[in-house]
Amino acid sequence: MAHAHSVKRYKGLMDWLTTVDHKKIAILYLLSGGLFFAIGGFEAILIRLQLIKPMNDMLEAQTFNELITMHGTTMIFLGVMPIVFALMNAIIPLQIGARDVAFPFLNSLGFWTFLFGGILLNLSWVMGGAPDAGWTSYTPLSSTMYSPSHGVDFYTVGLQIAGLGTLIGGLNFLATIITMRAPGMSYMRMPMFTWASFVTSAMILFAFPAITVGLVLLTFDRVLGANFFNVDGGGNPVLWQHIFWIFGHPEVYILILPAFGIISEVIPTFARKRLFGYSSMVFATILIAFLGFMVWAHHMFTTGLGPVANALFSISTMLIAVPTGIKIFNWLFTMWGGQVKFNTANLFAVGFIPTFTMGGVTGVMLASAPADFQFHDTYFVVAHFHYVIVGGMVFGLLSGLHYWWPKMFGRVLNETLGKWTFWTFAIGFHMTFFVQHFLGLMGMQRRVFTYLPNQGFDTMNLVSTVGAFLMGVGIIFFTINIIKSFMQPKGCANDPWEDGRTLEWTIPSPPPEYNFKQIPLVRGLDAYWKEKAAGNTEMTPAEPIGPIHMPSPTIIPFVMSVGIFIAGLGLMFSGEEFSSSFMSFIFNNWIVCGLGLLITFGSMLMRSLFDDHGWHIEPEEFEEEGYKHG
Amino acid sequence: MTVDEQNKHQLVNQRHRHEGPQKHIVAFIFSIVLTLIAFAAVGAGGVNPAFTIIILLVMAVLQVFVQMGYWMHLKDKGHMIPIIFMLGGFFVAGTAIITALSWMWW
Repeated sequence: MAHAHSVKRYKGLMDWLTTVDHKKIAILYLLSGGLFFAIGGFEAILIRLQLIKPMNDMLEAQTFNELITMHGTTMIFLGVMPIVFALMNAIIPLQIGARDVAFPFLNSLGFWTFLFGGILLNLSWVMGGAPDAGWTSYTPLSSTMYSPSHGVDFYTVGLQIAGLGTLIGGLNFLATIITMRAPGMSYMRMPMFTWASFVTSAMILFAFPAITVGLVLLTFDRVLGANFFNVDGGGNPVLWQHIFWIFGHPEVYILILPAFGIISEVIPTFARKRLFGYSSMVFATILIAFLGFMVWAHHMFTTGLGPVANALFSISTMLIAVPTGIKIFNWLFTMWGGQVKFNTANLFAVGFIPTFTMGGVTGVMLASAPADFQFHDTYFVVAHFHYVIVGGMVFGLLSGLHYWWPKMFGRVLNETLGKWTFWTFAIGFHMTFFVQHFLGLMGMQRRVFTYLPNQGFDTMNLVSTVGAFLMGVGIIFFTINIIKSFMQPKGCANDPWEDGRTLEWTIPSPPPEYNFKQIPLVRGLDAYWKEKAAGNTEMTPAEPIGPIHMPSPTIIPFVMSVGIFIAGLGLMFSGEEFSSSFMSFIFNNWIVCGLGLLITFGSMLMRSLFDDHGWHIEPEEFEEEGYKHG
Repeated sequence: MTVDEQNKHQLVNQRHRHEGPQKHIVAFIFSIVLTLIAFAAVGAGGVNPAFTIIILLVMAVLQVFVQMGYWMHLKDKGHMIPIIFMLGGFFVAGTAIITALSWMWW
């Protein structure tokens, strides 16, 4: 006997602020990730405009430093990570046959802390200067001696808050995948995207504490006058490099593994074949994650670790090429003999393979310590990591977005516009970054705001800038495609690609609030494909129809994040001399910071004191309970 | 309590069969004894400090096993995933701390 709890239904903006539905949180992640991606892209265009010709004076050196710092930080932490989280949120519960994530409240909290961290970081543009010490923020450059403005404080506090959201999200996906798989879905029957997200979440769990500690130490150094990275006080600036890269290298695999997962879904679907070497794919993913934690010092070859350490880290880095190679060949063998359909999603997936491989090859070149002394801090490195992050990650994301758009929004994206997106973006990408390999080998340093004429850099920089604009055009095509798709009514089929293999294609697009009317029974890898092969049109249910328990919407995560945001601002400006004595009083006496923490801990208290049992959707409501947007 | 909840309760009881308090009492006494030895080792004084530190570390490691195994239930069935993740965490953190520190202050 289920008892019906009444639940307050919100409408409009309040609905979005209070939602705990993983599908709506996915859309929130996508929107805010897209916004930050656009900001980061705009910064990239400005950087390339400054470098279009030698001795250009369009931007000042200081502004240029702020732009490169914010471009890197925004793109990695606020651009692609949230879009990854958007896809993970939207798809994982559907792929494992679950009705939501394990902790819907935490899911919402993770999103709001990420958003407020991102907003705090970007507020730096209008509050006295953006961070300018590079996305790596190496000490002593990022210390108060060399970065006296509040720029780096925005970096440390903003990333700390955003990182909180990422850590919460990662834990949530781990718990979801471990505990909420449908009956019959063993670990070795999980779709590859779910596997990749699982391993990614584990990496987040292990890697993010390192950056949390690092950012706390740097904040202490800058705001409270500690000496962790200050040589005069007995500290060690190399410690920051270690902490940053112990986090930072796993972070780049956190970025790329979900893309591997997406590619492993898209390629089999459009080749109409099962993924070649599924178990070796799983094994390779885990191995990449494991090795990813053993290679951080390859970013530090030139800091003087000595030949033994450099040799060891060269070898461990080159080892990563082995599992990655396994994956590349598995994708190629999946396509071999398949009936390959080249629509936009698959074009991005197929385009990913050679592009990412090129990035991998330069990665092995950089892994060789003696050669790295030449490559270090040149445009060769810039070319390398843009090949793996844009050519890998962003291609993967665009593929995944085209592939799952119908599932998320109930509308198929236009193929003609999609192909325009792919070709402009892909050609623009190679124009921008291919020449940068040679610029680097010829000696052009990264992070320089201008260069002298007649060193052989002029033409290639021009080509690079033109390419950057072409990539921008590609993204504009994608945006037009999105807007166009929203002008048509919803109502694409459950399985718009007709060759869907996994559980998400068995339910309506977009799915109802409760996802599955009955949790399906999984009878093998590629569960839906298996049922199709057996002549069934739908999954066998694993439970009778009954009332469905749902979590209640709540505003608490939003309020908690506002509290953390206020506390962060209060901490940053605690030592500031304001022109108004009132402002000085409330900031210097930690009143603002305390108020923020009070809001956060007060919200936690509310959450603990008032139990929320959720509510039920009764079977009679199933038919009229459509999932509505906005 | 509704019939539904009663059924659920029974199900939970079947899954986590209660094994009586004896083992927990033994574990509790063992934890206390370990702590007492540690205190005694420091309190006794006079011994080589290096020796005291070794005793403390051994006691600490044993304590971790008791705490994890008995109170965090890691010795029970169905805890493979937490064990894998904890070992993974120890391994990653251990490698990072040992290598980074040994390079910086060799």
